[in-house]
Amino acid sequence: MYIDPREYEYHSEYERMIKAYPPEQRYLLAIMQDIQKEFHYLPRLALKIISQHIGVPFSKVYAIASFYKAFSLVPKGRVVFRVCDGTACHIKNSETLIDQLHKQLGIGPGETSADGEYSLETVNCLGACALAPVMVVNGKVYGKVGPSSIEKIIKEYGGCCHGQAGK
Amino acid sequence: MDKQVNNEIMKQKIMVCCGTGCTANGGRDVYKAFLEQLSSISNIEVLPMVKQTGCNGWCEKGPLVKIMPEDITYCGVKVADVGEIIDKTLLQKQVIKRLLYRDPATKKHITSHHQTNFYRKQHKIALRNIGEIDPGNIQDYIDRGGYQALQKAFSSLTPQQLIDEIISSGLRGRGGGGFPTGRKWQACKDAQGSPKYIICNGDEGDPGAFMDRSIMEGDPHTVIEGMILCAYAVGASHGFVYVRDEYDLAVAYLKKAIQDARIHGYLGKGILGSNLNFDIEIVRGGGAFVCGEETALMASIEGRPGEPYDKYVFPTEKGLWGQPTIINNVESWANIPVIILKGAQEFKKIGTAGSSGTKVFSLVGKVVNTGLVEVPMGTSLREIIYEIGGGVLRNRSFKAVQTGGPSGGCIPASLLDLKVDFDTLTQAGSMMGSGGMIVMDDHTCMVEVARYYLNFLAGESCGKCTPCREGIRALLEILTRICDGEGQMKDLDLLEEISSTMQEASLCALGRTAANPVLSTIRYFRDEYLAHIKEQRCPAGVCRKLTTFYIEPEKCNGCGLCTRNCPANAIVGEKKQFHVIDNESCIRCGECYRQCRFDAVQVM
Amino acid sequence: MFITINNRQIEVQTGETILQVCRRENIFIPTFCYHEAFGGQGACRMCMVEVKENGRNKNRLVAACTYPVTATIEVFTESDRVQQVRRTLVMLLKRRAAQDPYIEELAHKYEAPLLPKLKVDPQGCILCRLCILACEKMGKSAIWTVLRGIDKRIATPYDEETDECMGCKACAEICPTQAITFLEDGEKRSIWNKTFTLVSCERCGKPYATREQLEYMREQTGYETAQICEPCRKKTLASQVEKYQN
Repeated sequence: MYIDPREYEYHSEYERMIKAYPPEQRYLLAIMQDIQKEFHYLPRLALKIISQHIGVPFSKVYAIASFYKAFSLVPKGRVVFRVCDGTACHIKNSETLIDQLHKQLGIGPGETSADGEYSLETVNCLGACALAPVMVVNGKVYGKVGPSSIEKIIKEYGGCCHGQAGK
Repeated sequence: MDKQVNNEIMKQKIMVCCGTGCTANGGRDVYKAFLEQLSSISNIEVLPMVKQTGCNGWCEKGPLVKIMPEDITYCGVKVADVGEIIDKTLLQKQVIKRLLYRDPATKKHITSHHQTNFYRKQHKIALRNIGEIDPGNIQDYIDRGGYQALQKAFSSLTPQQLIDEIISSGLRGRGGGGFPTGRKWQACKDAQGSPKYIICNGDEGDPGAFMDRSIMEGDPHTVIEGMILCAYAVGASHGFVYVRDEYDLAVAYLKKAIQDARIHGYLGKGILGSNLNFDIEIVRGGGAFVCGEETALMASIEGRPGEPYDKYVFPTEKGLWGQPTIINNVESWANIPVIILKGAQEFKKIGTAGSSGTKVFSLVGKVVNTGLVEVPMGTSLREIIYEIGGGVLRNRSFKAVQTGGPSGGCIPASLLDLKVDFDTLTQAGSMMGSGGMIVMDDHTCMVEVARYYLNFLAGESCGKCTPCREGIRALLEILTRICDGEGQMKDLDLLEEISSTMQEASLCALGRTAANPVLSTIRYFRDEYLAHIKEQRCPAGVCRKLTTFYIEPEKCNGCGLCTRNCPANAIVGEKKQFHVIDNESCIRCGECYRQCRFDAVQVM
Repeated sequence: MFITINNRQIEVQTGETILQVCRRENIFIPTFCYHEAFGGQGACRMCMVEVKENGRNKNRLVAACTYPVTATIEVFTESDRVQQVRRTLVMLLKRRAAQDPYIEELAHKYEAPLLPKLKVDPQGCILCRLCILACEKMGKSAIWTVLRGIDKRIATPYDEETDECMGCKACAEICPTQAITFLEDGEKRSIWNKTFTLVSCERCGKPYATREQLEYMREQTGYETAQICEPCRKKTLASQVEKYQN
């Protein structure tokens, strides 16, 4: 299996984080969560070490990593736009926000721009329905967002617009 | 300043709501501002005075600040208001009128939130402490009667008596299905096998529902106390709280609460001098709606993909790692200490014959007062939406209320007087679910709502069984077709045939209920389906391929609101002159339609 | 204990699944995801049957492959409700595997309407997961499901060649819809994004197994065996038996 050579730089760090848990299958998710939190994705090398440490086939580790939405198999962008598409947000036009971001950033939901600057995600509900439609950018919550304010928000994070962001 | 004054100040408590809604509106900054500005007053201890609380439920008006014991509630408080509140209210005992809630009907200012329509009609059991205590402080919980139920159980109830009490309270699981909690406990107690496990299901995944989050964030000890009571009753040694991935704050408060409970001897070995050994572990979910389903949740705790399995043998007999297991949802756990402390008979007095107690709803969507409300079972939809919720936003006409999340259905205006409980909602073709209540107005397209839910489920089904995976796919295809104006009449029959098989043959509750949004909208809003299919028209102006907007010149006064909000710059017009939509560049997002205060924007 | 299936009294062992009983009694129940080597998965739902249980006022449909008989019940394997469900399921599965003769036969039997074909990967896969189970049992778990919901499919991690796959084809052989494709060209076999060199039989000279497969067998059994293909091995065995009988 191909492993990006850069991942080897973190080999000991992955090992330290993974081996902090006993080698039992029940800790799979917890380990992955730690790695995801630290590196913002699950590197191949880390998954390989997890598989060896827990004693679960690599294909099954990968199955779990791809099953749960909390995990990403590719590195996320510097700026992560998460648009809530919960029901309350949806009926208050969150779709237009997603469309606008798509247009301005040039990436669709679930994608990361080629230069690694931006990621666009939709989430099912942030539990902030009173502020619908809601968007979270790198952890900061924006409530009652109108489609015309998208451009301004992108600029806050150093982006320019009309599909030119980060290029 | 002399010492006497400072003592006087210190009797007061400032409770800043730091629930999700208020935090997003700057609640935490307000809290910090209080801490900072109060510390400049000498001779007072600031920390015990200023408390950050969980969600008060009234998210619409946040950030909320309550001053006790005067019982003053300020709405929409900003950092800039903090100095004035300290000067006038804390030091001079004056009420600041402009920060009070103003009743839109009577135009009167209301000092205490308890007097508002939003709170007056509520009956708080599960939410009893939220907003009243600092969730990070176990003493706050104890001061309001916390852990007394545990003391009572240990000193005066046998495990069987405790279960009998839960059975006779009539409590039904608040997570969705409404299975009698006491019967579940009895089955687990009677089951052979050791160890036994207890799980708190905090994997709240219904879009538009956040009551469990609010309880875990606002009153974590009630969940813990409920679980300890159950451990005592069924003889369990280990508990798990499975928390949804996104809920960082809930995890933080639960962690602290578990630690504090251990220090106080409520968790660990020989709890309160008894021979009960019980401890709780937090498991973070991986982000999968299907893990709200018991067997998927257990698979997830075991470190496997969250795929359900057939429950012909109940988890109470063979659950987590094949051992007898009880799973209850957060809100159910929050009810347990109250039932034990006050007695089943008191609890039964609330609610309806078949559904006792209260239910927390998250009232959201096109409603004036959005937020969490807890009402006795049997309260009518009308009371919830109109009296507590203040009616539909902008006085638009009510079209439907969606309950039960993706497993539920849409209930039309003709059923507004429905008295809400587990059974009435099921009869109406919907479901209690976890308690999401999403109000929809005439700008909501019901076919598109059904499509939205199926699209949600397409990504959230685990994909294991045929009817759910392939059924959802097919329903989504057909609904998309209809929304695009390419539907045919025979599609309606196909939707119904596939839905029926999904209900009959799916492996778990997700698949069995996945068609509810489709069936309920066909049942109550068939005319909207027909408009899409036969006339290629979306009456609500939502489905883009079927919608063209125009501005009625007579109604437009040229205020320019639509122009400012149009993301496509498709609306032109001089100030104070009527405006025109350029259909070429219009992207049909409907923002102008929603924004226009004069109903000038219309659907063709 | 006795239960009735289609109004016929049948003796059963407590804990047996309805499907096990029906297979033993030659009562027809269609299945895709069931194999006696692995037990029931409850995934394809083709084996749904209607049961009448004591204490429940309504009959319900259950998956015969996972439902253990623990009390006296009445089972109906071809009731209207059952047939309706099978009709829809076959209709939905046929979209994934339109060419499969068994699905075609069931589509005919249950009069399933035709829906447009689907593009799935691998084409023809109905996600019965027997390949996963076979690979887990016979090999080193090279494949598993990836993703979830309507995007769920069977694959190797990252859709790349894996260290685990040894090209034994157990997955392809168990697949009920022949959805797992492999290429064999002389001494080469390609499957799951990986190409293997085949070893030839010492007797007949035909290429018969991959090097990785033989290596794995050595690891598992701990001893070296002659490189003989299955048909030759049987022939040898037969001739030895003959000798012994003579």
